[in-house]
Amino acid sequence: MIEAKGLTKVYGDKTAVGGVSFTVQAGQVTGFLGPNGAGKSTTMRMIMGLDAPTAGSVTVNGVPFAKHVAPLREIGALLDAKAVHASRTAYNHLLAMAATHSIPKKRIHEVIEMTGLGDVAKKKVKGFSLGMGQRLGIAAALLGDPQTIILDEPVNGLDPEGVVWVRNLVKYLASEGRTVFLSSHLMSEMALTADHLIVIGRGKIIADAPIRDIITGKGHARTRVRTDQPERLMQLLAANGVSVEAQDRELLEVTGLDPRGIARAALDHQVMVYELTPLQASLEEAYMELTKDEVEYHSHITTGAPVSAQAGGN
Amino acid sequence: MSATTTLDRRSFRNAVGPGPSFFRVLNSEFIKFRTLMSTLILLASTAVVMVGFGALSAWGTGQFSEAALSDPEAAAAIAAQGGDLAVGVPTSGIAFAQLILGSLGVLLMSSEFTTGMARSTFAAVPKRLPAFLAKLVVVMVSAFALTAVSTYIAGLVSVPILDNYKLALDLGSSQSIKMLLVNSLYVAAVAAIGMALGTLIRNSAGGIMSLVGLFFVAPIAFQLIPGDFFVEARKYLPGNTITPLTAVEHVKDTLEVWQAALVLGAWVVVPVVLAMVLLKKRDV
Repeated sequence: MIEAKGLTKVYGDKTAVGGVSFTVQAGQVTGFLGPNGAGKSTTMRMIMGLDAPTAGSVTVNGVPFAKHVAPLREIGALLDAKAVHASRTAYNHLLAMAATHSIPKKRIHEVIEMTGLGDVAKKKVKGFSLGMGQRLGIAAALLGDPQTIILDEPVNGLDPEGVVWVRNLVKYLASEGRTVFLSSHLMSEMALTADHLIVIGRGKIIADAPIRDIITGKGHARTRVRTDQPERLMQLLAANGVSVEAQDRELLEVTGLDPRGIARAALDHQVMVYELTPLQASLEEAYMELTKDEVEYHSHITTGAPVSAQAGGN
Repeated sequence: MSATTTLDRRSFRNAVGPGPSFFRVLNSEFIKFRTLMSTLILLASTAVVMVGFGALSAWGTGQFSEAALSDPEAAAAIAAQGGDLAVGVPTSGIAFAQLILGSLGVLLMSSEFTTGMARSTFAAVPKRLPAFLAKLVVVMVSAFALTAVSTYIAGLVSVPILDNYKLALDLGSSQSIKMLLVNSLYVAAVAAIGMALGTLIRNSAGGIMSLVGLFFVAPIAFQLIPGDFFVEARKYLPGNTITPLTAVEHVKDTLEVWQAALVLGAWVVVPVVLAMVLLKKRDV
């Protein structure tokens, strides 16, 4: 469990993190979402004791990180894929880190196998692709078999197979009862991976809730409906707070009513529905809605451009 | 899922294993030291330079002593050295050893910051100072050992060359042993200063430039600037402590032996302590 209380980091006259308080629970994947410069990486570095907070405190399992007897066995972190001397081999990097905690060589081989680095472990990190660098960072994070795992943009640079691997890995780690805290700017990825979401913008927490609440909480839950009687269904669904938009001849997009409610209405009036798809991508909308006033670096792009352009991670 | 159900779940509890004791951190720093090709190349080149200069110097010294047979000025110069030129031969490459191993001291710490390795290092050892001290031990011990071994090998190579010129070099004499130990300690001290500079400046080029400035530029600059103050101040530069520390008799315009030892000690302790204080305080 990670607990931040009034965590603040000020660089000169710029407040990177402005008194944030949050709790990351064990046994679930907690996503950390926010635009560039929102303070995600700074917050994670403060958790790891690398940056000292200007004010406030953060503890891991009730104790500040640096006070743990065996830090690597308590928290593993991928903070930056480049937290490695590139002239050293992957194996030697892990060997040096493991030596600080007398972690046996067997465990080094385990994490190398687990992260699929077997073929390149004896090669210098210099020649690694971004994805391999990420895998090495994750291997280092898992080295001490820690209770708490912090991953900053873990899927950055990974190929699709790697993305699925990370998704399954973090879910598995959380299912073992571990605390998993990961940041990502890929909102669709977050929607698939995280159970709980903390949204940060300009150093402040904007939202801290289960991911389902964030998606649906703002009334943005949309459902794609295909039916052969679109007009009839539109009439049936027309009610307070429900808006229906005809998108194609037999395609409707319903906002404000969940798929179950739509199906019930259709069944009651014998209207055949042949597709009911909850639109998960609405996390992006919810996110953009939440952060629209908080984006540090507005990209001044015209509406209609890809939303991800405004929401890169750091 | 709500907070209460989360807390009710089986909570993962790791069997607490060993943490970063000083010995383990020292082992880790030694692994880091020996697994970088650039470090090994610097060590090898130091040995080559030390032995090479020893051999060259043996040859030059031989030539000089032959000249002294017919040249009264050269003879006087030898007499001024206490009559023993050969004893300084094995350590004649020491200026280069201090430059290379001092730079190595800078690099081993500055590269932690330039590569991002520091984040891994200090995540594993969040108290930071054990990692710093372990690295300091590795840097100083390796600088000492390498200088001592290279000096000895330079001596072994020099003996037959000097023999050609009928000059005797006894590697077992007390002055030879003193030269070897004091010079090795001195290079270890320079490497420690380098590591402190690397910690303070966190930049390889800047750290090495500062080291070169302190050991090579400052002595010359102080000599060129007129005024008694600089003549006096020059004695206190770290690079000018080695002469009184190894001389048989007191050399003019240098400190007394005990003063030189204290001054060199201060040149090590002050930057190292400053580096430790700032390393503990600053963000990584």
